[in-house]
Amino acid sequence: MSRGEIAINEQLCKGCGYCVRFCPQSCIAIPGDRFSPQGYLLAVFTEPDKCNACSICGWMCPEFAIDVYRYVEAETPSA
Amino acid sequence: MTEKKELVYTKPELKLGYGWGHCPGCHHPIVEKLVCEVLEEMDLAGRAVGVAGVGCSFGFFASINIDGANCAHGAAPAVATGIKHALYGKPLVFTIQGDGDCAAIGGGYVLNAAARGEKITIIMVNNANYGTTGGQLAPTTIMGQVTSTTPHGRNAGQGYPIHLPELLVGMQGVAFTARAAPFTPAGYLRAKSYLKTAFQRQLGEAGLTFVELLSACPPNWHMTPLEAIQWMEDKMLPEYPEGIFKDSGGEQ
Repeated sequence: MSRGEIAINEQLCKGCGYCVRFCPQSCIAIPGDRFSPQGYLLAVFTEPDKCNACSICGWMCPEFAIDVYRYVEAETPSA
Repeated sequence: MTEKKELVYTKPELKLGYGWGHCPGCHHPIVEKLVCEVLEEMDLAGRAVGVAGVGCSFGFFASINIDGANCAHGAAPAVATGIKHALYGKPLVFTIQGDGDCAAIGGGYVLNAAARGEKITIIMVNNANYGTTGGQLAPTTIMGQVTSTTPHGRNAGQGYPIHLPELLVGMQGVAFTARAAPFTPAGYLRAKSYLKTAFQRQLGEAGLTFVELLSACPPNWHMTPLEAIQWMEDKMLPEYPEGIFKDSGGEQ
């Protein structure tokens, strides 16, 4: 079960592939058919089910393009 | 029970806009990120003044919210010395320099700042060639490496690479020298801890602190970014090992 998710800013991504190389769960891929507005290949979050919000993709991204979110369990407000 | 999203990692607050256009795969923005995160974690952003050298480090302070200066080629340690002595209130002064700026043109400045024991931090980004001008031979080019001025690979006739952190170990005025390779997650954390220690030693008036950070330069190495970090792992890390080479532990 997924414990988090990432958001890749497509305006900033330059397709270097460092996030793909270092993601321990192989959640990210460069499909090769999607391009950024600048013409770079885009990294895409392809396996949302495996993400555990470790933030390594964020550390490794030279373009500050990745935001990492972790799911937290919240109590349902009582009626 | 419902699930909420909590933001656990985003760009540091000190980073204002977005990059000034480094090549894909360059680690200069990673160094920006490291410096911003370390200053935020140590709560030193208000006291920090940086000096950027000439080269790919030139735009360092263009998009981060830290006071900074640009200076003539190689002269960053001299300008940082002036800033350190002129400002009241124990500022944290650091330089960001490339390997050509720090080891070639600015070699004398670095050695003399070390001999004087100036309380500044020098951060050298080593990409093993002159990145800005098209990938010529630099003092840090490793043996056998092909650059635009050594098309058959660097050989002994063209000299040997400079290892500044190891070289500075012998200087009495130097408190801390280290090298890290922030292109892997482990190297990233190591670089962060070295930068923190360097800033602590500087604020403890221990002496000059020097941190070398390895960077890829995919366009000038004629590789893709992923090939470049593989090459760094295979060729560059054996030549430039990570680690702390000198740490006086805060004593002068």
